[in-house]
Amino acid sequence: MTPQSLLQLTSQKCTTGCPILDRFLYGGIPCDSITEIVAESGSGKTQICLQLSLHAQLPVSHGGLAASSLYLHTEFPFPFRRLHQLCLSFRSSNAHHFPVNDNPCDRIFVQSVHTADHLLEIMSKTDPFIENSKNQVPVRLIVIDSIAALFRSDFDNTPFELKRRSSLFFKISSKLKALAKRFNLAVLVTNQVVDLVGPNEGINGLRIGNFGCLHTSGRRVCPALGLAWANCVNSRLFLSRNEEVIREENEKSNGQSCDFVKKKMRKLYVVFAPHLPESSCEFEITREGLFGVER
Amino acid sequence: MEIWRLPISASQRGKLISAGYTSLSSLSSISSSDLARELKVSESEAMNILNVASHSRGPETSNASCSIVEGAQSAWDMLHDEESLMHITTSSADLDNILGGGIHCKEVTEIGWSSLSLIVNSVLKYKLTTAFGSESIIFMLIGGVPGIGKTQLGIQIAVNVQIPNDFGGLGGKAVYIDTEGSFMVERAFQIAEACIEDMSEYNRFLRKDFQECKIKMQPQDILENIFYFRICSYTEQIALINYLDKFLSAHKDVKVIVVDSVTFHFRQDFDDMALRTRVLSGMALKLMNLAKRFSLAVVLLNQVTTKHTEASLQLALALGDSWSHTCTNRIVLYWNGNERYAYIDKSPSLRSASAAYSVTARGIRNSSSSCKRIKMM
Repeated sequence: MTPQSLLQLTSQKCTTGCPILDRFLYGGIPCDSITEIVAESGSGKTQICLQLSLHAQLPVSHGGLAASSLYLHTEFPFPFRRLHQLCLSFRSSNAHHFPVNDNPCDRIFVQSVHTADHLLEIMSKTDPFIENSKNQVPVRLIVIDSIAALFRSDFDNTPFELKRRSSLFFKISSKLKALAKRFNLAVLVTNQVVDLVGPNEGINGLRIGNFGCLHTSGRRVCPALGLAWANCVNSRLFLSRNEEVIREENEKSNGQSCDFVKKKMRKLYVVFAPHLPESSCEFEITREGLFGVER
Repeated sequence: MEIWRLPISASQRGKLISAGYTSLSSLSSISSSDLARELKVSESEAMNILNVASHSRGPETSNASCSIVEGAQSAWDMLHDEESLMHITTSSADLDNILGGGIHCKEVTEIGWSSLSLIVNSVLKYKLTTAFGSESIIFMLIGGVPGIGKTQLGIQIAVNVQIPNDFGGLGGKAVYIDTEGSFMVERAFQIAEACIEDMSEYNRFLRKDFQECKIKMQPQDILENIFYFRICSYTEQIALINYLDKFLSAHKDVKVIVVDSVTFHFRQDFDDMALRTRVLSGMALKLMNLAKRFSLAVVLLNQVTTKHTEASLQLALALGDSWSHTCTNRIVLYWNGNERYAYIDKSPSLRSASAAYSVTARGIRNSSSSCKRIKMM
């Protein structure tokens, strides 16, 4: 056992495909680390996952990992159409990096997962899979979308079951961390939210991370799976989605009239991360993908 | 005194060393029959070795520089020793204050001695002032929720232990054991840079000529002096802690061991809780031993968990109650409104107190609103 030299241990990051978001995240999603994205449905979790699996294929000089990715999905169906759509725009804007007729989707390995035990079983086969992939384009990114779906139905709310559940969290997390360390992988996990009832901050008044309350769609929410899972991830990001009513005043010749325009406001927050300060960044989702907005 | 200075035959010396007896003090508490069995020599020969050994250390005992029997020093001597102790600053004056850093030398001394008990709860690892000295050790457990700043505190301590003596630091090195993968090199670099800036600021302020020192220290050097181990399973963790003995013998300038976090790998796969408790207390004992032998500080970070008691949920440090008995000093990090606080939950010598701190780009610092807070009081 010898200590690793910190000078050689540079933390590589995988670009998100948007320079503004990359700057916000100090370069992207870090390797050898688990990054979690928490949000209610329809906020853009899956969009980020798809976009990242495409951009991981970019050469290292362009912020990517020059790697293929393993995409484990627990929510059905897998959004093939959207992936294809993103793939087209990805290929057209990065055409010079890939040969003609090359399809980036070929380097995204998709696997469905049905239960937590199934996930563990898959992960035990992942080592040899990644080992073999080295011959072609190595796997350097694992996406799990979403972890919460595996745990939200199968477990009763009894102390025994909860204990079994958190033991599984730690098993999954340490396996993921071991893989991340061994192959220098970036790991991206998504998580759902639960509504927060009552006056307290967080569940049982327990505040985790930089923000007392997280708000999305006008509701107070907190990440699913509780404190035990929060101990299992290295960084946690939160996506919010709110509708803002903006009053636009149109001056017309016959006086003033007001139009009310509804506008979606999406924001990305750093809940906690060892390398990022408390901060937030606005973003939007377009046909071409997910992009930061600078104000 | 080392074993090779004993007036015994070369073969006896070889046997002693290969059996792991490298210092005289390691021979102090063993009986001749045990030694005979271990070295595979006759009992009379073993007796002979022990006699020679006790003779050679006789004169040394009297000047008390190396006490062979625990507690052979008088309390008065201990007090004097402890007054010369140094502290590792947390970079937050408020936090240092409640930890007795630099002010309550005496109390810190006591901490040093009671370090027989380890600091084992790390829920959040935050700042610890650790007393160092010829014979003092601090065992500290820091715990808290995710995102409160445990890892930040751990990195800060690993950097601050390297502040040179001229600047009131220890000028030591650090061992950082990372079980969670939260250590970010870029973050350590930032904190190291800020630490060097602060030192040159301090320099200018005092108008002292530490020019050389300033030029010599670079963030790269600070990173180089952190021995970083990444651990992926509890077996690796135990193996590493067993191996540290050897590692520290070769790196005597290590002054602090940070374990971030001690808990993570022990929260899965242990159906037999009694076994887990035994493994953990064995590990704690070994760390305590290391702390004593190499006079360094041990900082353990712990996670928090919820505990079911009579149908209510309570926040508790992970790994159960017996683990909390093993630690001498325990610090809990928590949120109070929008501020981070550290609270001394358990300590034999420091009164319980809490202090606000903040995590900034430059590392752990005093809370910006602490001036207001004092006024309110």
